[in-house]
Amino acid sequence: MILAAADLPFPTGWIPPYNTLVVAAGVASVGFAAGVVGCFAVLRRRALAGDAAAHATLLGVGLAFLLGGGRRDLPLLLGGALSTAIAALAGLVLIGRWTRTREDAATAIVLGVSFGAGITLLSGISARGIPGSAGLEQFLLGHTAGLTAADAMILGALSLLAVALVTLFLKESTLVAFDPLFAAASGWPVTLIDYALVVLVAVMVVVGLPAAGAVLVTALVVIPPVTARQWTDRVGVMLPLAGLFGLVAALSGVAVSSAVPRMPTGPLVVIAASLLLAISLLLAPRRGGLARWLRSRRTVAAWAEGRLLEVALRLEGEGPFTREQLLAKAPGVAAERAFKRLARTAAIEPVVTRAGTHAWRLAVWGRELAAERSRRLAAWTEVLEAAREDARGHLTIDVPSPEAILGAARMKAIRESAAAARSASGPVSGGMS
Amino acid sequence: MSTTSAGLEFHDVTVAYGRRPVLWNVDLTVPGACLFGIVGPNGAGKSTLLKAALGLVPLAGGEVRILGAPLEQVRARVGYVPQRESVDWDFPVSVTDVVLMGTYARLGWLRRPGPRERALAAECLDRVGLADVAERQIGRLSGGQQQRVFLARALAQQADVYFLDEPMAGVDARSQERIFRVLSDLRAEGRLVVIVHHDLRSVAEWFDAVALIDMRLVATGPVAEVLTPENLRRTYAGRLDVLDEIGRAVAEGGRTS
Amino acid sequence: MIEIDTTHVWMHFWAIATAATVSAACALVGSFLVVRRLSLLGDAISHAVLPGIVLAVLAGGRPGGAGVFLGAVVAALVTVWLTNLLGTHAGLAEDAGAGVAFTTLFAIGVVLVSALASQVDIDPGCVLYGILELVPFDTVPIFGLEVPRALLAAATVLAVLVVAAALCWKELVFTAFDPAAARAAGLPVGIVSAGLLVATSLATVASFEAVGAILVVAMLAVPAAAAELLVRRFHLMLVVAVALGIAGSIVGYLAAWHFNTNAAGMIAVVLGIEYLLAALLAPGDGVVARVVSRESLRWRVACEDRLASLWRAEEGDAAALAPRTLLDRLAQARLVFGGRIVPGRAGGLTDIGREEARVIVRSHRLWEAWLGRHVALPLDHLHPPAEWIEHHLGAEVRGRIAADLEGDEGDPHGRDIPPEEFPRRAADEPTR
Repeated sequence: MILAAADLPFPTGWIPPYNTLVVAAGVASVGFAAGVVGCFAVLRRRALAGDAAAHATLLGVGLAFLLGGGRRDLPLLLGGALSTAIAALAGLVLIGRWTRTREDAATAIVLGVSFGAGITLLSGISARGIPGSAGLEQFLLGHTAGLTAADAMILGALSLLAVALVTLFLKESTLVAFDPLFAAASGWPVTLIDYALVVLVAVMVVVGLPAAGAVLVTALVVIPPVTARQWTDRVGVMLPLAGLFGLVAALSGVAVSSAVPRMPTGPLVVIAASLLLAISLLLAPRRGGLARWLRSRRTVAAWAEGRLLEVALRLEGEGPFTREQLLAKAPGVAAERAFKRLARTAAIEPVVTRAGTHAWRLAVWGRELAAERSRRLAAWTEVLEAAREDARGHLTIDVPSPEAILGAARMKAIRESAAAARSASGPVSGGMS
Repeated sequence: MSTTSAGLEFHDVTVAYGRRPVLWNVDLTVPGACLFGIVGPNGAGKSTLLKAALGLVPLAGGEVRILGAPLEQVRARVGYVPQRESVDWDFPVSVTDVVLMGTYARLGWLRRPGPRERALAAECLDRVGLADVAERQIGRLSGGQQQRVFLARALAQQADVYFLDEPMAGVDARSQERIFRVLSDLRAEGRLVVIVHHDLRSVAEWFDAVALIDMRLVATGPVAEVLTPENLRRTYAGRLDVLDEIGRAVAEGGRTS
Repeated sequence: MIEIDTTHVWMHFWAIATAATVSAACALVGSFLVVRRLSLLGDAISHAVLPGIVLAVLAGGRPGGAGVFLGAVVAALVTVWLTNLLGTHAGLAEDAGAGVAFTTLFAIGVVLVSALASQVDIDPGCVLYGILELVPFDTVPIFGLEVPRALLAAATVLAVLVVAAALCWKELVFTAFDPAAARAAGLPVGIVSAGLLVATSLATVASFEAVGAILVVAMLAVPAAAAELLVRRFHLMLVVAVALGIAGSIVGYLAAWHFNTNAAGMIAVVLGIEYLLAALLAPGDGVVARVVSRESLRWRVACEDRLASLWRAEEGDAAALAPRTLLDRLAQARLVFGGRIVPGRAGGLTDIGREEARVIVRSHRLWEAWLGRHVALPLDHLHPPAEWIEHHLGAEVRGRIAADLEGDEGDPHGRDIPPEEFPRRAADEPTR
């Protein structure tokens, strides 16, 4: 009637070292290839189409098992899995072309229904007690312990083939993933390349089945590329890096699962991959959380400081100002910190009024800072008017010096063209400060 | 409605997406009861300025006051017409359903729109000339009609200040005319209508006052004073030939050829 | 293996009732997810509630109890928070972010289940595809009736969802359709969206025991997507989705019983078949309707082209007189049968046929003339668009074009444009 995990004879016995090594090598290459192939799925925003294909593999495994007369022959089962995975992708394309159903719902439909069909078939097989059917369940969550050296070699060979294909067509794949319209306009068979990339994902999903199982194999295709993306901005670097992360995740998952009895491999592989991702999200240079946090903190601090100086300059026209007056015009935690910093660096200095309240005024040094900021803003306004894209591309809220960013020569050219355009007209108003 | 204070005030409004500034120290006051255009090149921050007024984007600095009060206090008196692309037109609702949405905020939790709201919705649809398609699914309307549905929804809000984001984008001439007509009526009733607009030619024809925006406020005031060749140059850096022509047309109160 | 005594009709009744209740709850929530393009959120949540459930059970919660619901809601919120975090802070596309978040949480759940198998009474199999057949064995007495606990939980959730949807209908619909405008109007968009998340996780947990984590995805998305194809009003969509969900569970359960296989899987398959039928048969833009309308247009065009070429033959243009393709021949036969063409080899137009042909040729030449006047196209580029547009011009537009041409009688090729109304006397000689 139903499959219960407790009934399954997961082999947990001692495995000869040779077999262990070959299986490890096979799984490692599967992890590598899944990472590499997954890059384009992630870049092309097809991460979850792969998931739908993965859930459909179960149906194919069941069908191939029936067709093969009850033999548990890995290549046969994987062949079945591949055909239903591709059928699922075709289903996605058809729904997109013929109905109003949107992509997200289409993915959920294909995923849920094909998985249901797979479960129905496998349960039916199991309920009829067909010999050899019990182990089919390991395709759900993955279990590498049952792999033979021959199986592992097939998986490894397929993985290497996939990597070779991606490497060979790297230029074309990158072009199509980045700008399909341009690619089509320059005569590339975009649809063909697109479908080939998706089919390659389906292949990797199928090859990854023994290691990660139908439910979680998509993680093998998605997480390593996402991890690699944190470390690099170049496709050429992202591919091998994703492969490397996939390899490490797959190997560590397999190692832990072989050490703990009755533990499926898939979840462990996924957790290993997620740990790598978590570390990368936190620590990667430039894109990592830590680096971002530090950078945005610096920017916000500079912005708040500049804003305080700007307000202070305005307020000072009416004599000394209080801290409250200043912060009322520029509220926020960053502003309070900026106030302390300005006081500490003596950009603003306290004055003792007759009423005895604490009032402040700009020190000479602070006035210089404020003046420099408004000079920079005026310069940026000029850049915005004469060379809009330069300003939009480089101006940040901490108001960097335009000369430092664009170079003195470029600034001079911009100034000249601005002056030429302005010569016919009146005074300038409406700057940024 | 109170006409003592200005309809809409931006005080030193700065908005940034991450570290990139989109609006910088915009200081702008819009008097009550007029058709006010916010004009500028693509990516100038026009829509962002509108969203800042509506509290839909966080401000990095500055404040916005509507009818002399912070947004939270006057929310019920503010109507909004978003860009047409902002919603899914396949959504299974009818034209009347959408217009009724304008009454939801006033109804509050739990209460359902009743006959009074339905009558109001019908009246608003009639004002924009869509009474005959009231029960149609919204996806089966033309672009101009969809925009008028949005306008009708805003009318159903019975607001005192209206914000419209690019209401004329992808809209046929007949719908444009109709929309401008309705907006002029609103002004005549003493309401303030603020419109993000990109077509400089129709600015002179319909608007009372404009603000030229490109990250910062370049100029603001009555149309004829603002749309000078110099201001246009400083807003639309580097596309002078077209602009000279427009500036001249504006100065003469006519149209370009 | 568990053997169910098939003579026990009550058992099946309870199982079907549970499946139907769960399905109705999922279809209700799923409709909101589908129209908000959040189906994948349902996918993510259904996977991600697993660790929440396991931890809640580990902490002493009863399966189906309030503690488990709480754990699942927390896990669901964590997934969404993680997905958003990955989106805003790591710049991940939504699909990749969801893919990362839910696979990770699900993996943690499975590892917990496997590692704590002795302490947690959750079957890893049940996690994936549920144990609907076992539901009737775990009952609680209600007014002297032994009601399955899972049904009780599902019915409670369904009731809560229906009441919540009815009470917050306006807010839900406005937020779903246009979140920015709803927020601008002062509606509590954040609360409503969070409420939808909580509702999704409640429906998911209620379904978990019966259908498992993954088949919930089918129950959430499939009936709602099918209903969306069938009707165009949201409240109708909800009703149809719930009906499809209930029908799917009843039929699916019975089919599973008949074929002796997993009920939840079979329910998903039946729901899939329902969707397929909806996609094929939806009125207006179903596959069948689209094919029929395309073919009937092709047929009308063929008939009209036939008439037009006979008209041109009468004008003296001998080209394309004989029907060539099969479609042409069929059109010819249809026109002869309909009294538009005189039977026989050299059959010319009858009076009715000539009347119709005139309108078509008039449309064609009016359009050529209009294009020639307003669009700078070379002469030989005028024919193709006119060949297409001639089948679509109505009398009113023809009148407007004619007015625009101000009585210009000829097309750009120098041929006459036939008049809209024939002068009585000229009825017999169309070339005038």
